[in-house]
Amino acid sequence: MADMKSRLNLRDKGAEFWENSPKWRRVLLSVIFIALCYAVPFLNNPLINTPGSDFQSVMFYPVGMYVMMAIGLNIVVGKSGLLDLGYVAFFAIGAYTMAILGTKTSLNFWEILPIGVGLAMLSGVLLGTPTLRLRGDYLAIVTLGFGEIVRIFAVNTDSIGGSRGIAGIPTPPDIFKAKFTILDPKPYYWMLLTFTLLIIWMVRRMAARRPGRAWDAIRQDDDVAQLMGINTRRYKVWAFVLGAAVAGVGGVVYASQILSIVPDQFNLNVSILILACVVFGGIGNLWGVILGAVLLAFIPERIRFLSQPRILVFGMALVLMMNLRPDGILPKKKREHFDPEWHTVEESGEGEIK
Amino acid sequence: MSENVLELQNITMKFGGVTALNDVNLVVKKGEILALIGPNGAGKTTVFNVITGVYKPTSGNVVFQGTSIVGKKRFQITKLGIARTFQNIRLFGESSALENVVTGADVHSKTGVIGSIFGTPRSRREEKAALDKALELLDFMGIKKRAGQLGKNLPYGDQRRLEIARALATNPKLLLLDEPAAGFNPAEKVALGETIKKIRDAGYTVLLIEHDMSLIMGISDRVAVLDFGTKIADGSTTEVQNDPRVIEAYLGAPADAS
Repeated sequence: MADMKSRLNLRDKGAEFWENSPKWRRVLLSVIFIALCYAVPFLNNPLINTPGSDFQSVMFYPVGMYVMMAIGLNIVVGKSGLLDLGYVAFFAIGAYTMAILGTKTSLNFWEILPIGVGLAMLSGVLLGTPTLRLRGDYLAIVTLGFGEIVRIFAVNTDSIGGSRGIAGIPTPPDIFKAKFTILDPKPYYWMLLTFTLLIIWMVRRMAARRPGRAWDAIRQDDDVAQLMGINTRRYKVWAFVLGAAVAGVGGVVYASQILSIVPDQFNLNVSILILACVVFGGIGNLWGVILGAVLLAFIPERIRFLSQPRILVFGMALVLMMNLRPDGILPKKKREHFDPEWHTVEESGEGEIK
Repeated sequence: MSENVLELQNITMKFGGVTALNDVNLVVKKGEILALIGPNGAGKTTVFNVITGVYKPTSGNVVFQGTSIVGKKRFQITKLGIARTFQNIRLFGESSALENVVTGADVHSKTGVIGSIFGTPRSRREEKAALDKALELLDFMGIKKRAGQLGKNLPYGDQRRLEIARALATNPKLLLLDEPAAGFNPAEKVALGETIKKIRDAGYTVLLIEHDMSLIMGISDRVAVLDFGTKIADGSTTEVQNDPRVIEAYLGAPADAS
């Protein structure tokens, strides 16, 4: 217990250090951090390598992909408090858009990307508008059903390959010297990382402003949020749609890397795993969620050499962690300010409103 | 002169077989403090819930500034200019006091999700305006020093004050206060009474549910009395104090009368 307290303090001290840092230091630290992220494929060493699978591939899928999806799901589950158990559906819609348009038309990756994201968002609206009047468990059941419907629809529709899926999905065109091929996961990783950074930037801005406050209010007390003039329905649909958009991006990128997809890749397990990343990392806290996703994606690969008992060890690690830190590794915990002259609204971050 | 901000017209509210409000007529005039009193279970909070759209009345009409608001969504009613506090405090406990109030002030922002992502000039302007307004209101309620503390960690009295600040942030034409002095000591009640008067003098109209008679008699312009869902009296404080039906509702009928 005492140990946990000191760690929490360490976290608060870190946040304080960041808030009190002059702009140049923040920029410098951000640049170093981002550079490190881009350098990850070259940082393979015995400490973090993944015997049994290719390190660079692992960094793209599952690590990078889980991080991105967890950030997207965190908007829905963490920020707005809507339990979505069918998140994989939007991932599947993105992937199938890439697969169908990539094989049947001459559109390239960059042209399909916005279409895939748009379709994922559209399905978010179509699913969200009627169902988001439901709360809690009921919403979870409906979304669970939606996730399965999309997969089963793909299995039963022969024109999109049925259970055999779609093969021969084209790779994205080269960007300068970066060639997107099945043999080299590095460009895909960098592309995914770039998208992820962009999404983080967007999410942080939203969180610090009006939509973030609306989602906070909805999560804490839906009725009062309405009585404070928040169109809760609209903001819930937005959360859903933004989450769907992120998964859509993930799906398109994933399909273009893996070259062939089958419906069974988009089963319930993926939804549950992404949700586990969010909960494990610290529901509602962006950096916690990212850390959670990195760990949950990475650990099973890191211990792949254990072969059969691997999942058992992984499960035990999960149970242990959730017992030690029931609110996640980096729980969402607002720091309080007792300074009477304190004026900023958000945790730090954007520093938009001072 | 005495423009009616709100009119309840023959409001009846039934829950199954229970009649919570029976043919209630009530008028709130612009710029006044109207106290709504009555024994427990008389239907006072139900009146608030009907006004704010939480319940749809079984029959009757609610007219706010000349237009009927029955059937409107809750957030629309708030936007039109009715804000409320809650009998059992319902703050956003995990948000800071300041964020609670800014959330209320957001009502007047037009920026949506997209504008917020890209930080349009309007978004920045509105964020700034909402923040300034929230700070001003925290100051007005005397809890500015609590700005950075979480709603749930505020002392009880400050939580009540924060709820009023949050409601005021929506810039209401009509402010509904549901037992704002519950749990206050006498000195705090006096201070709260002064605050409510200040709110009225700032141009707001206040409809107040309260049990503390000295507070009500000290600040109200008019008093309406509910008993078992029926309005039994309505008038100035002295009129109501001497109304035999009110005395009966509160103290019971004299032994020889029954």
